[in-house]
Amino acid sequence: MSDSKKILVVEDESHLAKGLQFNLEREGYTVSVVDNGQSAIELLGEQAFDLMILDIMLPKLNGIEVARRVRNTDLRFPILMLSAKSSDEDRELGLEAGADDYLTKPFHLPELLLRVKGILRRWEWYKEPVHDQEVFHFGDMWINFVNGRAKGESGEFYLTTKEALLMRLLVSKKNKIVSRDELLEKVWGYDPQTETRTVDNFVARLRKYFEKKPQSPRYIITHREKGYEFKP
Amino acid sequence: MVFIGVQIAWIVLMAVWINWYLENNLSIQKFAQKLRPDLFTAEVEWLILFEGCFLMLLILSGVYVIFVYWNKQNRLNQMQSNFVSSVSHELKSPLASIQLYLETLKYQDVSKEETKDFIEIMLSDTARLSGLIENILQSSKTDPKSMELQTQKVDLGQFLSEVVKDHKRQFEEKKCEVKLQLEASPIVTVDKKALQIVFNNLIGNALRYSPSGSSLKIHLHRMGRFWDVDFADKGFGFDKKDLNRVFKKFYRVQNEDTQNIEGAGLGLFISREIVKNHKGRLRVMSSGRGQGSVFTVSLPVSRGLTV
Repeated sequence: MSDSKKILVVEDESHLAKGLQFNLEREGYTVSVVDNGQSAIELLGEQAFDLMILDIMLPKLNGIEVARRVRNTDLRFPILMLSAKSSDEDRELGLEAGADDYLTKPFHLPELLLRVKGILRRWEWYKEPVHDQEVFHFGDMWINFVNGRAKGESGEFYLTTKEALLMRLLVSKKNKIVSRDELLEKVWGYDPQTETRTVDNFVARLRKYFEKKPQSPRYIITHREKGYEFKP
Repeated sequence: MVFIGVQIAWIVLMAVWINWYLENNLSIQKFAQKLRPDLFTAEVEWLILFEGCFLMLLILSGVYVIFVYWNKQNRLNQMQSNFVSSVSHELKSPLASIQLYLETLKYQDVSKEETKDFIEIMLSDTARLSGLIENILQSSKTDPKSMELQTQKVDLGQFLSEVVKDHKRQFEEKKCEVKLQLEASPIVTVDKKALQIVFNNLIGNALRYSPSGSSLKIHLHRMGRFWDVDFADKGFGFDKKDLNRVFKKFYRVQNEDTQNIEGAGLGLFISREIVKNHKGRLRVMSSGRGQGSVFTVSLPVSRGLTV
């Protein structure tokens, strides 16, 4: 039971925030609520959280900007975006900004709680000690799986939680083909909304970071109909 | 810009054509005389020149009309898609809240007090939903002919107190201190339901466009032939350029304070139309961004019915 997990809810609709807090606390989480993006950034500077549930339409600083700012720091925790914006582009934008999952309003309570549980479980798996050293080197690049910092083709940067999870799974099975289904299951959890092309989008992003020529990759190889392979 | 460019291009083309015609008039005539000598004289054919100019002008005005309507259509399409997206946003938030509380009641063990509190929240969300739907319906019948007022005599002071009381929960949630100052309690002849939409919109806006912990002062007083109700908030305020635009249909103030606040751009438009139909006025004053704003509803004093 994840009773001591700390969740930050960033939601300006007070009714929704109160309902979310009530339900998450019933599930045993410790919940803090703020109603704007600026306060969220300030609170994140003071306290550590295991998960942030983030609305997009927020006063002062919107959710997309909050996610971007968080991803530019060394704070590592997953973000679940909750928004009334339901188009594919909005979803893509949210994930691009660094969200790990995206749920549209109105949502079903059991689904929200399952997703929260799933994200936290995957995060636990990610934080488990690895047999490889914490900093993984390949070529003249490296990835620190503890804080998500990495050095790619164009310098140092931070991987998002999902990117780090995906990279870690590929690295842990280096020189072996990992199927899209396995990647979906382990990195995204069971989610009927996630399609295999989501995996392809994330792989494309990783190639942009780590490949000299993303069109003809050297490290992250595609095996048609089978999956992906990492060759250090 | 494209439009101006095309107009300039047409005028230049027309000038070139006139010039070309005058310069080549003689040689054209010589050439034509060889073919059909019976048709041509040696002089400049002014009628043809005039006809050419007239046709050019006709085409020019045709292009102008097409451009004007094309622009108008584009603007309307843009407005429609903004409207649909903001209305769907505004509908989704209270709906998400109602669904969340209903599912909470279904899946969680909830005490009696909590249940009562949740029901209050859901009722306030349904009020918000019905307010929005009322605004949308009202916006389609704002001209005086289709807006039939069902007037009755109403004690304005008492009515305002009731409306403020209805918003008690929202004021508490936003930690907003509300002060109602009634200098009189006049009887006015108004459509109570329509006027409630106006007051709900003004109070709703004051809450929405103010930071948490702000204040709202509602002041009823006489101003000449009118009863004025001022709604003075300490919210985000307006730039001068927005003061009149806020009453336009679908218009929404776009700045960093307000960009993420949901709204359909209908409330103030409808409110002004309703007040106008009561032969009153709805105005706004603001000293600028961050300085708050004062919306004033002026309703005419009903003869023989004051105080």
